Amino acid sequence: MTAPAPLSAVDVPEPPPAPIAAVAAKASLARRLGGLGAGLLLFLVLVALFAPLIARHDPDLPSGLPYESPSLAHPFGTNDVGQDLFAQLVFGTRVSLTIATLSALVALGVGLTVALLAGYHRGRVEAALMRLVDLILAFPFMVLVIVLAAFFGRGLLTTVVILAGVIWARPARVLRSQVLKVREYQHVVGARAMGASTSRCICRHVVPRIAPLAAAQFVRAANIAVLLEASLSFLGLGDPNRVSWGTMLYFANARNAFLTDAWLWWILPPGLALTAAILGFAFLGYAIEELADPRLARAAPRHSRRGARRPPAVTPAEGAHAGMVLEVRDLSVEYLADPPVRAVDGVSFSVGPGRVLGLVGESGSGKSTLVMALLGLLRPPGRVVAGNATVNGRELGRLHRAAVARVRGREIGFIPQNAMNALNPAYTVHHQVTEAAALTRDLSAARQRATEVLELVGIPAPRHRAYPHELSGGMRQRVVIAMAVTNEPSLLVADEPVTGLDVVTSARVLRLLLELRDRLGLSILLVSHDLPLVARVADDLLVMYGGRIVERGGAKAVTGAPAHPYTRQLLSAFPSLRGPRRRMTGLTSEPTDLTAPSAGCPFHPRCPDRGEACRCTHPPLVEVDVGHEAACLMRDQ
Amino acid sequence: MAGHVARTVAQYLLVLFAAISLNFALPRLAPGDAVDYLLPPEQAGSLTPEQRTQVLSQFGLDEPLATQFGDYLSGLARGDLLFSVRYGRPVTELLAERVGWSALLVGGAVLLSTVIGAVLGFRSAWRRGTSRDAGTLTGVMLVDSLPPFFVGMVLILVFSVQLDLFPIFGALPTVDTSGPALVGEVIRRSVLPLVTLTLAYIGPVYLVARSALVSELQEDYVLMAEAKGLSDRQVRRHAERNALLPLSTVTLIGLGALVGGAAVVETVFSYPGLGRLIYEAVLARDYAVLQGAFLLLAIGVIVANFVNDLLYPLLDPRVRRPRAATA
Ligand code: SF4
Repeated sequence: MTAPAPLSAVDVPEPPPAPIAAVAAKASLARRLGGLGAGLLLFLVLVALFAPLIARHDPDLPSGLPYESPSLAHPFGTNDVGQDLFAQLVFGTRVSLTIATLSALVALGVGLTVALLAGYHRGRVEAALMRLVDLILAFPFMVLVIVLAAFFGRGLLTTVVILAGVIWARPARVLRSQVLKVREYQHVVGARAMGASTSRCICRHVVPRIAPLAAAQFVRAANIAVLLEASLSFLGLGDPNRVSWGTMLYFANARNAFLTDAWLWWILPPGLALTAAILGFAFLGYAIEELADPRLARAAPRHSRRGARRPPAVTPAEGAHAGMVLEVRDLSVEYLADPPVRAVDGVSFSVGPGRVLGLVGESGSGKSTLVMALLGLLRPPGRVVAGNATVNGRELGRLHRAAVARVRGREIGFIPQNAMNALNPAYTVHHQVTEAAALTRDLSAARQRATEVLELVGIPAPRHRAYPHELSGGMRQRVVIAMAVTNEPSLLVADEPVTGLDVVTSARVLRLLLELRDRLGLSILLVSHDLPLVARVADDLLVMYGGRIVERGGAKAVTGAPAHPYTRQLLSAFPSLRGPRRRMTGLTSEPTDLTAPSAGCPFHPRCPDRGEACRCTHPPLVEVDVGHEAACLMRDQ
Repeated sequence: MAGHVARTVAQYLLVLFAAISLNFALPRLAPGDAVDYLLPPEQAGSLTPEQRTQVLSQFGLDEPLATQFGDYLSGLARGDLLFSVRYGRPVTELLAERVGWSALLVGGAVLLSTVIGAVLGFRSAWRRGTSRDAGTLTGVMLVDSLPPFFVGMVLILVFSVQLDLFPIFGALPTVDTSGPALVGEVIRRSVLPLVTLTLAYIGPVYLVARSALVSELQEDYVLMAEAKGLSDRQVRRHAERNALLPLSTVTLIGLGALVGGAAVVETVFSYPGLGRLIYEAVLARDYAVLQGAFLLLAIGVIVANFVNDLLYPLLDPRVRRPRAATA
């Protein structure tokens, strides 16, 4: 049976960590709604607690004439037998909240027990329990509740048992997948290996970690319970001894309150009270889920319309070096946060026609941010704060989305990281290449072009109609390359194009890229953390650290005589292209924390060659040889 | 593939069996004597103990449980669902009369709520984190918190009582009409119940659609689609194509919730569907009808889930054409 709980956030793979500001923005919505929900519920709880002080009449006894209009004595008037509607409303709060809380507690207790049992006793116990859960979830629970209530009577306890008996399956399913996840955490595995008993494991390690989710499930269960109780009462299956909001509406409906003027006081107040209670639980549940697992919050808005103002008309740029394919000047990118994080800081470089430029740095060096900025694919809160770029002499200004969109896929091709997972599983590869080709030609020509270019990268014709999952990783990589070069761009940007591929395949892919450069006259910006690998194919190298260029020059010069200590570390970190992969032993610690910039050399904390001056003086990029520059103070002395 | 189908069929047969067993067990587990569930309340109350035993043996209720269950199953196989004490007619006949109206209502609501929920959810996901997303989210949660019967009553108050636009009760006109006029009248009388039921179900669809598209938008293929130069509209279509998959599941599984909601909404509008029948049966303590309706709905929902399980692979090429990947 298909899992009917697609709302649970726990089955979804972790997204990449998102910029801080987006999380903050969304968390504030969750917090606002959560506060609102908690406020509503608090109010209702107070009303329930102090009901006898608030209402002046007994809700079950006639205290006036039938159909009295609102007055001081009866703020909402009376119903057809003279009962005070306001008193019924106030005391109804007690019934609704009591039943909701009790049912939710029982449901959560059962659900949690089942989740822990299933999560810790894998195999047959788990299979049986989860089958039961699926079974209950598949049933039309409302009808089940009605039928059960009709057969088993209408007391408060009966109602609680029936509601809990239907509701528990959902928390059980959601919590179980969370238990499974927690089990995999390192320290639980460690604790188990060291012989801790299962029950101790659960109490010490598992329960605290699933507590937030359990709280959210409790609130959700209460939310459903309020509605179910009201529906039962509305159908005349509520507790006959206590007036609840649902019962009020039942009588209003059964006795045609519409046809009298009493409807305003008879129907609206209990309906709105119910809405308030349900909404309170819904808001609170949403807030707890969001704050405990901010998956939805992590995502920044993809398209900020405000940011996409009309770009200035494209004009040949003044002062652009004639003949350069890509020219970047003083580019700076910041992530909006408090304080802002400068991920790319005043970077300038250019790529000549037919050249391969290698851009090297570890993760966190700013190279990926730089690439995203170049392609106009930077997500808020990241934004270009200074600098500009030209492509083939065309001014792109500050790399506004709309400006770059005109050249993306046409003059700049892009191969993203994890390229073999960058294909849409729902379309054939031929279709996906055709889409790209159709940017510059009509559909039939585009189809033909797609066939051509797939052949060009070495995909045999019988595989063109395949879906991505039917191809090997290497083939998918080639398809992505085909898409990137379909429109014969002058620049190909490849972000970690061979990471994750085996040695043979990655050598083939690199060879293919070089072949394409020769056949199509491409320039290539090759981005990677692997300096020795890049050095084998690149003509020129740029080494980035902490958002800045720390060394640049011809590939031979940089690898032969590295002038910056960081470059030397990168070179020693990797054995060789064909050797076995090793841990990066050469790198001594984590990349610099960009949120705490210091006045001195950013590499200073990790630098083996640092001196006194390095702590307070920022090293400029200076020439060490012809066409070879480095930013290191110790170099000059 | 064949193995998968066989396993799915086996699983659903199990669920079906459970539903039937539950239906068999209910009157036998419930407090009181089975006689209370066989005869109208007035009659059952006035019987002497001897008469009660007589009734029990008449219905075969003094036999061993296993025999009773066997009789019950063979009765079901012949489509025999006892008699309604209220109407004095076979339950199957009553169900057949009512099921069409419910199908009309639930089917219409599924369609409408799915389309509206998906459009809103996708739009929210596309602009997630913006104030418009927050506004839509809050609004949908608000609508979702309105109890359907309350919405129904308010709609009646506003549109039927105050504005006199729609008739309040029933699905068929009281005076004899035929032809196009009849169709028009039937549609007119379905509007308010349909709106009520649709509103009640937009929320879940919206939330699933939103979270599904948010997940898809974080996939690498979306970045690739943008990088290869596609327009926003094309990129969005790429992601939505994949986000539709979980939506198809939630729509069919939501049927269970909708059927329950219909029971309440039909009651408010005196709409002659299964839900209204259930309500009447509850009031009249007409347990045979209650059991029959429950069984029918359970089977309906189970079949819908089954169909979904079989159709899902056709929508998802990853499952549709599992061909070994070769280098
Ligand atoms: S400037 Fe100093 S700290 Fe920075 S890289 Fe050179 S030697 Fe190391």
